[in-house]
Amino acid sequence: MAGLKTIIVLSFILAIGFLLVILSSALWHNYFPLLVVATYVIAPLPNWICSHAANPDDFMESAGSGVIDFGRFMTGFLVVMGVALPALLAHCHIIQVPAMVMSIIGGLLIYGTIVSFELFFQEEAEF
Amino acid sequence: MSSHRLFRFPKPAWLNSANTRTAGVYTAGALFSLGFYILIDAAAFSKSALNGSDPPVHITFVDWIPGICSALGMLVINSIDKSRLSADSFSYSGNGVAWKARLVLFLGFALMAGGLAGAGAVLGLKYVVPEYPFPTLWMGVANVVANGLVMLSSVVLWVAQNMEDEYTYNLAL
Repeated sequence: MAGLKTIIVLSFILAIGFLLVILSSALWHNYFPLLVVATYVIAPLPNWICSHAANPDDFMESAGSGVIDFGRFMTGFLVVMGVALPALLAHCHIIQVPAMVMSIIGGLLIYGTIVSFELFFQEEAEF
Repeated sequence: MSSHRLFRFPKPAWLNSANTRTAGVYTAGALFSLGFYILIDAAAFSKSALNGSDPPVHITFVDWIPGICSALGMLVINSIDKSRLSADSFSYSGNGVAWKARLVLFLGFALMAGGLAGAGAVLGLKYVVPEYPFPTLWMGVANVVANGLVMLSSVVLWVAQNMEDEYTYNLAL
């Protein structure tokens, strides 16, 4: 399923995403858009940590699902933060509007790569 | 389960699936993030060069109080175990657990409603009554929008978690 071609395509998309984010900060000598990369890199972490802290199959125990819900809540928070942060900076004229567009597109490409990589890894782990 | 329902229209089946519940929790996080960043946006706008209000108007601690109240209320409401609310009868509500849960829940809802009402009060008293034009008015409007989004996020989270209870119940039966 997840062959060599998939990995090559994903790495290309990841490189394009990083290129867009770095260009958006380097073209205007204003390095605030790099925060988007940090946001999207830590976005999958809460789900990963909380899924190891509780057992989702144990549906009789209601104490475990609270931790998982918290992880999902934090993931939703961080994903929207990656879009909201450049929009905020552009609205307050801290960065330019083209820099905002480039960093949002680049950030979404980076996050999409991370998520699809996780999906392929999960499918391989099931065998 | 379905014979105990009050209304004619049956509840759609997708409302009880685990996927809908997961999507609800993600949506709640997204809505909370949107509200939080609208609040931060108003604060950053107040410090930026765009804020050309002639007698300078800035975000002060007064503008933060409604947001703090709403966030605290959301924390209180969602840290309650929902199954304790209906445990009033005889089963495992030894020392009036349901009563205590309802008291804490009431405090949470009061905090949240106070946050929204306080945002409206700040908008009216600080920005509308002195008749500021729009770029300055945005700081007050953003406050109301942010508190409304935090409330909406809490509602979505509440509905999603109640969904999970019924889903668990169906599985357990």
